[in-house]
This record gives sequence, structure tokens and C-alpha cells, in this order.
Amino acid sequence: MVDLARVQKELHECNRDVQVSGINVTLKGDSLTHLIGTIPGPIGTPYEGGTFKIDITLTDGYPFEPPKMKFATKVWHPNISSQSGAICLDILKDQWSPALTLKTALLSIQALLSAPEPDDPQDAVVAQQYLRDHQTFVGTARYWTETFAKTSTLAADEKIQKLVEMGFPEAQVRSTLEATGWDENMALEKLLSS
Amino acid sequence: MASESESAAAAQASSFMENLMNSRNRDLSLFLPFILAFTNNSISSASVQDSSNPDQETGESTTPSEFSDRIILVNPLTQGMVVIESRSSSSFDSLLSELMSKEGQPPASKASIEALPSVEICEEGQKGECAICLDEWEIGGVVKEMPCKHRFHGDCVEKWLKIHGSCPICRYKMPEEDGDLNNKSENRGRRREIWMSFSVGNDRRRSAENHNNQTVSANSSSENEHDHAPEA
Repeated sequence: MVDLARVQKELHECNRDVQVSGINVTLKGDSLTHLIGTIPGPIGTPYEGGTFKIDITLTDGYPFEPPKMKFATKVWHPNISSQSGAICLDILKDQWSPALTLKTALLSIQALLSAPEPDDPQDAVVAQQYLRDHQTFVGTARYWTETFAKTSTLAADEKIQKLVEMGFPEAQVRSTLEATGWDENMALEKLLSS
Repeated sequence: MASESESAAAAQASSFMENLMNSRNRDLSLFLPFILAFTNNSISSASVQDSSNPDQETGESTTPSEFSDRIILVNPLTQGMVVIESRSSSSFDSLLSELMSKEGQPPASKASIEALPSVEICEEGQKGECAICLDEWEIGGVVKEMPCKHRFHGDCVEKWLKIHGSCPICRYKMPEEDGDLNNKSENRGRRREIWMSFSVGNDRRRSAENHNNQTVSANSSSENEHDHAPEA
């Protein structure tokens, strides 16, 4: 049985300092075992400016078993499958510890975006490009970020405008939207509860 | 798609040796010269071994007390094959478990879990929480203390140590169950084989594009490797 009390505590903890970490975890549906995490692309990498969604499934053994995490946003990275979003990261496998949390696991994934490990690849094609033709790799990764991980500025402006018209200050609307991966409904819920 | 899976197989095979050298298995790098030396004169050394013990196969299968383990190295470029065989399994087992250390730290021994001292949380500013269930300490509550001084609820840490014998916070390694005797009797008479296949050399491009046939076979035999992996 998943330790639901712990998951609830984690969600609370994580969403308290979302402004600082930029890392956000929300429910996918009604159940506490299917979650969506969002991480901002690290600054100074081809992923900068993107918001990446991670699909999280908690197995019955959690927190004694690692959470199942995969990218829901398409991403071009040696350790992430460009097809399935599967992540090659030791703490999500044999190096998991129950002292880790969803937030620290997401932080580790964010760190993986900054520091690829092409010698232990998940996606061999990306890894070979990373090693042999780094410039093309950076270009492709940046293009994928632009295409899949960014809300177009036009659509973003529209969303901001909508929420500002409801009476929220623009700066808060912007940061909340960024934190929720530009999900209007989630942002509204957050703004109302804050 | 086909070329993608082939190059994936090639990368897998060629990164295998690098994984041996890098990764966590530092000790294995000691074996590398040994393994490579074997591959260079592979066929001769393998056949010498075989011919010196012509009755090896039958002898072993009929006498269950003398079981042997093998690692079979296949070089896809030369189709050479090396068999490393061991009768005294203690050092060999450790090599195997190092190789197959995908499973993480094995469970802690029962004795070591039972021996964890209980500590009472006094009132004096011992704020904190159990890192496993994230509940805060209750004053006057009793918790278990690991040798590394990290504290957890008894139930929480026992459940973890029965799965992986390491401290959740600092990965301090608890003593493992001294299961050598048990394992030996379980494995008696069972032969374990590991098939390994790899390409020698640094040039990944060559092995990926010019040796497609070999890399396909490399892929299939690397699957075998998993099939034959012992439950260490």
C-alpha cells in the first residue's frame, strides 16, 4: 500500500517552496498515485526556458520502491528516450533510498538535464550525436525545447491576460502559470488558494 | 528504425567495456588486462583449457558437489570465444556480484537489524523527523539508531533494511546476511553461465556501421547475459 500520508506531506512540502525551486507536483486525477511533476529547464543549457512535465506513478511499495517517472514532454537528451520519455537515472532504479522524495528525485532529473551522461545512454542515437557532433546536438535539443517544452508567447500572453482580468496581480499570475506548466486551471486553483 | 536499434546494440556492446572500467565497479578494472589478454589469443587458450580436461562436462554434471561457474566472453569481430571457469567459487562469486550489481545493496542481516539500539527522544530540542515516513519525532518516543547515528522509526527502517541494507540517508552499509553456506547448498550442482559479447577498440563508428551482422549477434548475446545472470 502506498504511504498516502507521506505522499500528502510531500505534496504540501513541495508546493510550499515552488517559487524558489520551480519544481511543482500536482495530482493527475483523483488518486494520489498518479502525479505530474514539472521542472524548469536549467539555465545555460539547451533546455533553458522550457517547462518539462514528468509523469509520475507510485507503486504500492513507495517509498520503499522508487517512483516510476518518465518525461511526458518530448526532450532531446542522451539519458532520456526521445521516443518514450524513459529516464536513465540510478536513483530511480537501484540507487533509490526512502529518504529521497518526489521533489529531490525531480531535482536530480533537473540536474541530469544540466549534466548528461552520454557513456550510460538511454537513447543511443542522441548519445552518439552528443559525442560526435555536439553542435548539432545542442541545436536539436534547443529546437525540441522550443517546439515541445515552451508555451508559445502568444498563447501565454492570452492566459496571463485572462487571469489578470479576474483581478490577480500580473507578476503573481505569471509566476503561478510558470510553476504550473502554463496550465490555466491549475494556476487559477493555486491563485485562489494562496 | 532498424538502423537505430542496431546502433543501439552497438553502443550497448561497446559501452559495456567502458562501463566495466568506469561506473561503480572500480575493482573490475583490475580484471581488464586479464580479460583482454584472453581475447587476443582467445581460441588457443580456450581450446587448451578444453583439451586438458576432456571429461570436464560429464564429470561435473554427474558429481553435484563439484559445480563450476563460467563466464563466456565472445568477441564479435573475430568470433573468438573465451571461457573463464571457476571451481572454487568464493572469489568468483564476488566478481559475478560486482558485475551484476544492478540490484543495489543486498538486505542487511537479521542479527544486525535486531542489534540496532533503541534511543529515546528526549525533550531537549531534538527536533526532526523520520526521513522514511516524514513524521516528526514525538517527545518520549523510541526510535532506532543506525551505526552511522542516523535515526528512524523502528518499523520504517526495519522494512527498508530487509530490502536494502544501507542507511537511507548516507548509504552506510549494514552487514549482509552471511548466506554463503545457504547459497552454496542451493546452488550445488547448478551450473551458472554468463555470456558476454563486446567489441574491442575505441572506434564506435566502425563497429556500428561496418559490422552490422556482428552487432546484431552482440545484441542477442547481451540478452543472454541477462537470462543467465545468477540471482546473487
